[in-house]
Amino acid sequence: MKPAPFDYYRPATVEDALAALGTSETAKVLAGGQSLIPAMNFRLSQPDLLVDIGGVEGFDRLDVGPSGVMIGASVTQSRVMASDEVAEAVPGLRQALHHVAHLQIRNRGTVCGSIAHADPAAELPALAIACGATLFLQGPAGERTVDAGDFFLGPFWTDLGEGEIITGVHFPSEPADTVTLMDELAWRSGDFAITGVAAAVATRDGCVSGARLVSFGVSGVPSRMAAAEQAVLGFAPGDDSSALYGAAYEDGGDAVDDIHATAEYRREALGALAVRSVRAALASNGNGTGV
Amino acid sequence: MMDTSPGSREVDVAATINGMQVTHRVPARLLLSDFIRDVVGLTGTHVGCEHGYCGACTVIVDGDAIRSCSTLAVQADGSTIRTVEDLATDGDLTPMQQAFHENHAMQCGFCTAGFLMTLESVDPDDYREPEQVVDLLSGNLCRCTGYQNIVNAVCSVWEVERS
Ligand SMILES: Cc1cc2nc3c(=O)[nH]c(=O)nc-3n(C[C@H](O)[C@H](O)[C@H](O)COP(=O)(O)OP(=O)(O)OC[C@H]3O[C@@H](n4cnc5c(N)ncnc54)[C@H](O)[C@@H]3O)c2cc1C
Ligand code: FES
Ligand code: FES
Repeated sequence: MKPAPFDYYRPATVEDALAALGTSETAKVLAGGQSLIPAMNFRLSQPDLLVDIGGVEGFDRLDVGPSGVMIGASVTQSRVMASDEVAEAVPGLRQALHHVAHLQIRNRGTVCGSIAHADPAAELPALAIACGATLFLQGPAGERTVDAGDFFLGPFWTDLGEGEIITGVHFPSEPADTVTLMDELAWRSGDFAITGVAAAVATRDGCVSGARLVSFGVSGVPSRMAAAEQAVLGFAPGDDSSALYGAAYEDGGDAVDDIHATAEYRREALGALAVRSVRAALASNGNGTGV
Repeated sequence: MMDTSPGSREVDVAATINGMQVTHRVPARLLLSDFIRDVVGLTGTHVGCEHGYCGACTVIVDGDAIRSCSTLAVQADGSTIRTVEDLATDGDLTPMQQAFHENHAMQCGFCTAGFLMTLESVDPDDYREPEQVVDLLSGNLCRCTGYQNIVNAVCSVWEVERS
């Protein structure tokens, strides 16, 4: 199918973009279009105005500094994935992006667009929470920042207010004692995850000293795994993993049953992925990568 | 402050397609795939799912392989587009097209243009292992071949050793 008719506008400044969004209740931001245009082709989405932010001044910035990586709203997933500087500062990004869709989609899809879209099975929202990323928003009431951990409210539902735009996302540099990684189950390389885990695991003396573990594709929203984060403290490479598995299984209590997998399957997968991610993080820390 | 929509329902799209300069005034909602097929008349680019899943509509825009069904024509304004028609010169197939032919890497051929344009867009040096080739091709669906012959064709041209 084809999109329903709409007006198209390509502003050069964020002020013009915000003003345009204010002229219509159904106006939508167009970033890479890799979620929005398919939804419009299906007529699931029928905005009367598209505000294409591809040409907005400053939105193409991809800055790597001592504090981390700042990714502007029009920066594509491929561009982030290709940057060796980014991979050095936040290794989890390249690894997570490899799981996001396919080359042709990443060539247009943006990092910020994926975060704004908030698909419950998407990798980047979960990674943003695990990394402690910060979102930069601008709207009719001005600018504000939100921690990724507070941003995702439900399936395709975020803290983004009416007429607000994500102008960028900042991923802090991976701390020296921490390994950030992502693991998932999907039917096909590049498909959305059936169950996934994004993990930032800190180690001291070979044992886990702290962890942010985030499930995605399990319930309607990427979620911190409170029980597993507790259970993993002190975990060492040779340890029995049944307590960690059990805690992660508990964290999957609100897993959904759908055409792709049963809730029970998702919970078991979550347990297995949590164990696998923590072991992988410990192993790569031991090898000197990420230390 | 604006109070009426600053946007427009009709847009001008000027692009270079396969070395040819084209300029058309089209509806803003026109997909790039329909622009290429119906407006410019190059029907080698195929449309399968029209929602970004199958890869049949893959074309190269400013060097990158993209889904033309999930891109608006207006988003390609000012760009350089290559489609499957740009590959062979005067009927002489490219080595990859020739390898598809020799390896029987197509049956109905509906998916072929998408595969060829994905392959054309990348640097073979980044794909030295068969698994990397398979991963690259994961964004293109083929309902006929079972993929083995496509992978064989690619590996033969790029001299990737298959185990
Ligand atoms: C076949 C297929 C497979 C895919 N597989 C995966 C996958 O495995 N994992 C995954 O994570 N994703 C996957 N995706 C989605 C892809 O990653 C999208 O690129 C991404 O979700 C949206 O980014 P975009 O820039 O294309 O946003 P768009 O499609 O342009 O926008 C998506 C939504 O976000 C809003 N939006 C975008 N940018 C902003 C902003 N800066 N501020 C405010 N609102 C904004 C838009 O208004 C719209 O509602 C897949 C897509 C396809 C078609
Ligand atoms: S027709 Fe574009 S991806 Fe299927
Ligand atoms: S040859 Fe028929 S779909 Fe690929």
